[in-house]
Amino acid sequence: MVQEFLMRLIEVDPVKAGLLAAIGAISAMMANRGIAVFHDGLRPLIPEHLEGRMSRKALAATSFALSFGLIIGFGIPFSLTAPIILVHSLLLGTDVIGVWCSNSKKGFVLSGIIGAFYAVALLTGLKSVVELFAMLPVNFMSNLSKVGDPIVVCFSLFPAVVVGYQYGYRKGIWVLIATLIGYLATQSIGTLSFGGFIEKPVKLDPNGSALLIAMIAMFYFAMKQRPPENTGSDQKGANEMLVGLFSSRIARIQKNKWLLVLSGGLTAVAATMSFSLLAEGPVSLQLMAQGEQNGALLVALARAISFVPLVGTTAIATGVYSPDGMKFVFVAGLATNNPWIAFIAGCVIMLMEIMLLAKIAIWLDKYPGVKACGDHIRTAITRMLEISLLVGGMIASNAILPGMGFMVVAGIYLLNKTSKRPLVEMAIGPIATILVGILANIIYIMGLG
Amino acid sequence: MKFVVGGQIEKEKIAESIRTLAGDKATSVVVMNDIEAAMALKSGTVDYYLGACNTGGGGALAMAIAIAGMDRCVTVGMPGKILSDEEIIAHVKGGKSAFGFTGQDIDVVVPVIIAAIYS
Repeated sequence: MVQEFLMRLIEVDPVKAGLLAAIGAISAMMANRGIAVFHDGLRPLIPEHLEGRMSRKALAATSFALSFGLIIGFGIPFSLTAPIILVHSLLLGTDVIGVWCSNSKKGFVLSGIIGAFYAVALLTGLKSVVELFAMLPVNFMSNLSKVGDPIVVCFSLFPAVVVGYQYGYRKGIWVLIATLIGYLATQSIGTLSFGGFIEKPVKLDPNGSALLIAMIAMFYFAMKQRPPENTGSDQKGANEMLVGLFSSRIARIQKNKWLLVLSGGLTAVAATMSFSLLAEGPVSLQLMAQGEQNGALLVALARAISFVPLVGTTAIATGVYSPDGMKFVFVAGLATNNPWIAFIAGCVIMLMEIMLLAKIAIWLDKYPGVKACGDHIRTAITRMLEISLLVGGMIASNAILPGMGFMVVAGIYLLNKTSKRPLVEMAIGPIATILVGILANIIYIMGLG
Repeated sequence: MKFVVGGQIEKEKIAESIRTLAGDKATSVVVMNDIEAAMALKSGTVDYYLGACNTGGGGALAMAIAIAGMDRCVTVGMPGKILSDEEIIAHVKGGKSAFGFTGQDIDVVVPVIIAAIYS
């Protein structure tokens, strides 16, 4: 057993394993010192502990409770559908490891070692599970990837949904129509050869162009929304008040910037298409798996913008940052394909985020529509994922186990709503499909099929 | 009782849910951004804060914890786990005034919270 595991370690590309181990070690060490944690809900608890209102034990127990369900029910299933690790499975784990290790020099070193080991174990563990699945008599791995099929087309719809949430159904429909026209137009143009002037025709990606048009429309509406005119007094914006209240905590983040900068640079390298080790979210993960770099880049960009208010305000109020910052480092990785350029770009982005933290927050006060838009982007992407992964899960399950596949997925989805320990709704598609794959093998082995 | 909806996602849905459940007994139900909502709770202009995010504790409660204090906040629903009705009631009776949960838990936890507040 141990020997088998060690053999797998040798099989894994040492550069990739080393990179992931470094990210795991640094993240766990930053969590140990309360410099950065990935879970937005753990961040406000860190100062409670540092300032003596919460014991290390209670903090550790809470961090485990917050993260465990997400790793098992969200991070791992998505990572299994494509050979790319959803960053949540790695960094929620390093949060827990860092907080569990004691608040001492020994704990600091230990958290780094365990964090590195966890990262490598995650990589080899996922690889082992995928290989194990591939060895079963009924091989469902090729069908499992069908779970992501609807996402590859549906992802360009989310700006229309965001505008619908924020400015009503009617405007949402207009953006939807613009998205569809953009899609059709690029599809009909197909490739641009500029009348034969260039040798290699430029192939236009209809989904990417449709998304780009829709995102421009979405941010146009969001930027147009300005705060109400000052009612006489020189009233401060909410974020400016926040910056004023917590200036010492901003200084704490800036004091710890170098570890964060390093972590940002390394993450950007892991997020390049050529490495394809880490993905920032389920949508860009699926797009990366299907080789859709432009789509993945745009979705990562929209998500990063949507995280600016959330990560920014929680960081300012707590003095604790995120090992990936506002997630722009993933955009840097996808935009550049060269690991060295990605590393430099990731470092620079992280440094800028940290140094401009207060400025960004105060600037956001001027654009309340952008903050609201950020909230809506996350809601809309979740909704889009719920529906497209449910349909994808049904298609994939039915391909594995015709007839019954539909029933199992719908059954799990509906019964989950009655559970007191419900699965994350958008993870039901992948989880149910994996279960159907295992069920298909049981049926085959028992000779019922 | 005055309610404020903070948090990050599904704010209108939560506000609508409170209005339906509490009816005339709620003197006001307002939606604010999370920082303003947390300040309203701290200053006492509202009695209860409800908020949602994808984890139940991040965007939902971060500002409430940082501004109004940890001892007033509780996450009643997180991915993979919703507190039992008894636990939620105990938290309300024990004086918690800011509640965080995930978007998919709204229909399960908000009725219990509102019922406990008015019982």
